[in-house]
Amino acid sequence: MNKNIRNFSIIAHIDHGKSTLADRLLEYTGALSAQEMTEQVLDSMDLERERGITIKAHAVRLLYKADNGNDYILNLIDTPGHVDFSYEVSRSLASCEGALLVVDASQGVEAQTLANAYLAIEHNLEIVPVINKIDLPSASPEKTKEQIEDAIGIDCSDAILASAKEGIGTKEILEAIVKKIPSPKGESTKPLKALIFDSWFDNYQGVIVLVRVFDGKVKAGKKIKPMATGSVFEVSQVGIFSPKMELVESLSSGEVGYIIAGIKSVTDTKIGDTITDVDNPAQEPCPGYKDIKPMVFCGLYPTTPHHYENLRDALNKLRLNDSSFIYEPETSLALGFGFRCGFLGLLHMEIIKERLEREFSLSLLSTAPTVVYRVTKTNREILYIENPSLLPEKYETTEEPFVATTILAPKDFIGPILDLCQEKRGVQKSFTFIGKDRIKVEYELPLNEILWDFYDRLKSLSKGYASMDYEFLGYRESNLVKLNILLNGEVVDALSLIVHKDKAYYKGRELTERLKEIIPRQMFEVLIQAAIGNKIIARESVRALRKDVIAKCYGGDITRKRKLLEKQKEGKKRMKKVGKVELPQEAFLAVLKVK
Amino acid sequence: MPEFLYIHIPFCIRKCLYCDFFSVPYDESLAKAYIDTLCKELILKKDYAKSLKSIYIGGGTPSLLPDECFIQLFRCFRDNFHLSSSPEITVEANPGTVNESTITTLLSLSVNRLSIGIQSFHNDELRTLGRIHTSDNALQTVELTRRAGMGNFSIDLIYGIPGQTMDSWHQSISETIRLSPTHISTYELTLEEKTPLYELIQSDEINPPSPPFIKGGTWGFSNKIRMPDEELILEMYNHAIDFLTACGYEHYEVSNFTLPGFRCMHNLNYWDRGEYIGVGAGAHSFVSGLRSINSEDVNNYIEHLNNGTIPESESTKLTTLDTVKEFIFLGLRKTEGIIINKLPPFIPPLARWDRGGCYSLLNACSELVDDGYLEIENGNLRLTKKGLVISNTVIVKLFERLM
Repeated sequence: MNKNIRNFSIIAHIDHGKSTLADRLLEYTGALSAQEMTEQVLDSMDLERERGITIKAHAVRLLYKADNGNDYILNLIDTPGHVDFSYEVSRSLASCEGALLVVDASQGVEAQTLANAYLAIEHNLEIVPVINKIDLPSASPEKTKEQIEDAIGIDCSDAILASAKEGIGTKEILEAIVKKIPSPKGESTKPLKALIFDSWFDNYQGVIVLVRVFDGKVKAGKKIKPMATGSVFEVSQVGIFSPKMELVESLSSGEVGYIIAGIKSVTDTKIGDTITDVDNPAQEPCPGYKDIKPMVFCGLYPTTPHHYENLRDALNKLRLNDSSFIYEPETSLALGFGFRCGFLGLLHMEIIKERLEREFSLSLLSTAPTVVYRVTKTNREILYIENPSLLPEKYETTEEPFVATTILAPKDFIGPILDLCQEKRGVQKSFTFIGKDRIKVEYELPLNEILWDFYDRLKSLSKGYASMDYEFLGYRESNLVKLNILLNGEVVDALSLIVHKDKAYYKGRELTERLKEIIPRQMFEVLIQAAIGNKIIARESVRALRKDVIAKCYGGDITRKRKLLEKQKEGKKRMKKVGKVELPQEAFLAVLKVK
Repeated sequence: MPEFLYIHIPFCIRKCLYCDFFSVPYDESLAKAYIDTLCKELILKKDYAKSLKSIYIGGGTPSLLPDECFIQLFRCFRDNFHLSSSPEITVEANPGTVNESTITTLLSLSVNRLSIGIQSFHNDELRTLGRIHTSDNALQTVELTRRAGMGNFSIDLIYGIPGQTMDSWHQSISETIRLSPTHISTYELTLEEKTPLYELIQSDEINPPSPPFIKGGTWGFSNKIRMPDEELILEMYNHAIDFLTACGYEHYEVSNFTLPGFRCMHNLNYWDRGEYIGVGAGAHSFVSGLRSINSEDVNNYIEHLNNGTIPESESTKLTTLDTVKEFIFLGLRKTEGIIINKLPPFIPPLARWDRGGCYSLLNACSELVDDGYLEIENGNLRLTKKGLVISNTVIVKLFERLM
């Protein structure tokens, strides 16, 4: 049976046509009729489609009759396309024997192409190169092949030329999957070993777990446990996605499908964990499990204090579906009661914030995102600082997270890119040509420096041509200080930030200037100061409001003027009162806008 | 029941550059048809009021109307409404549209108050505003008003005009005082969106687009015009308050000054949140707790009344909260402020108002009182001088605390 199964992923840089190709494969194999095809079926969350990225991995079973006359089961395991989710990508790849490497024939190799291809090589996957979008006038398949060979070192002589949009090459791709990608190994008779590569919470069925079964067999009635967490559950249902949810009797070695087992929270089914049989457990779990830690933190506060409970409930609900994000209550002098939330990355943070506001109708105020700093106190105690205002006064050393960043760009843009990395405290590790006109540079950079505007600036410096990817390196010692912002003499904890000492003066000045533009005039003068410890390093002020009065108000003006005042009041609703000063949301994000 | 009647006359010779009111070019036959229609609406509304304390004929430019129109209109008032013993009857008049016969006619019809839209005594400022008259026209109008025997008149002035200086503003106020009107209104020029002046200020153009209903208007400016600086406007306002008060005029509302005994009863009714009947195209009414507006379109207005219906384009049912807001923001326009004891029982001065979690007025203002924006004296809640110039902000703060 196993020899007729192929488990594969599609890996590609964003916008290189991964989702369109998936649609085409579904359509060609009849998994969905052309009519049933809503475009890009696999990206089912609204948010994913709006942002044009895949956040959650999915798995679809395709049935294909090959030219050799045999019937095959092809399991397409979709992978998220963003660096924030690279661990999830690695678990999806671990569930496969092969991968289609899709590269846009007009764009060529990009940073995520590399990152994902290396990841696939690490997992010993058979890589099938697909040169996509060959129908575009700007397509240059030969150059693209050359780049793949140069950068990744895989043979591209029989790379498939395709256009997912036009349906060119679809059959060739399916044939290559059958011919080149090995069938899964493993024994149905061995103890159950199933790798979790995705899980989510469904309001009706509880947690739905997507697994790749390596050894053994799982079916309804079995008692199972995820090996890392150890809780025991009884399987109520197993099935596959075709892409519709379909019940099957069992899932055996080599197969991909879902398990439902009355699980209440995704925290019990962490991605990368191995499910085994309680009565006949596997000796070893599948390799590569990591308890992933959030990299980016921010404070989330309701704009009106009495929505605190609603926010807590909403966070709780989202957490059911996303074990990679964490939250705990925190209190800010400036903002009151809220939560410190941790995310895999900035995109992950944006998505969660947007869902909280959209799905739970919450109005939120968020503090500037920060990385986690590691501080060794004078008594050798080690603290992890997720909130800049909590940096202690005295410490032995401060360390910050560094990332290995890979940037690919056409050679004409490389000058300004190197300057940017320099400005961001980067250390160059390599500089190589890929093909004749593309350059790959590797830098070690503090994560903090690339969090906010780095990517946008990289894009604008390179007219959109540069791409980047990064991976966590570890903590390194850095000379860090806490920069406090004072409004009318009071420290606003929610505006504090940790900065490198060499940049503190500059940042203090920039930040006060920016806040001056953001803070609206109030009934009194607002003094804005930046300070390191007790030392004031920058100062600005917002003049008091001088004149705000309706000149004329007679019989015909009353309703209009009332509405004018109500509008003014509505505008203030979105402001947060800190002491007597009213601050708009932008004020808390002002630090992001400072270079 | 309302005791105040407002009649709207939406005709002008041409539109001023800063004006965002609805008006149409004056046309005698249209005006006559319009007056006939006003009479129809008056008849339909005759039972709305038992007795009228005031009639106010505003515009537009009511003084453009031929004498017989006024005669017809006043006959209609007499036939359909009861007037109280000493009603205040005001007509708005613009310099350049008034002659001796107009004033004599109005006096004979028992009009006892004229509101004259002079705005400035500087021709360059009048030009910037797009007014049709000159400083001399204004003086002539006042002269003939007085000669005809209409001693009770008000003069409107505008400050904050592009190009205006403290000196020129002082001269306009001084000239006004020399004419000894019983009442003076000084309005800050408000730049309203969609007016030619607004477009001009926003753009880099020197010349205004030709204002509506004039062909080939030629009053270009030699330089780009700019609104005066906020501090200068504030200084002008404070100067008007100081100087007019020193000359014996009582500052009784944000923009209004009066000699003792000559407050405008009609306008006070608006700020006391009293009801009123509005008649005419675009006229607003406040009757039985409902605020409504007649259709602005003159032809549509005439057509509807020919068919016996009043064309109301909008009416607003006020919630209790809206009512509270109105009492506050209207009442605080008066320098005497809100007489707390005269507020309706659903705005309790002290107890907590529980429906919707509304706090009492006095609790809500305590911080604003402490900070010197509001004051409470002899049961009156009012803005201080410091609070007056930023009254919108103060009122919004009060709203926030109340609701």
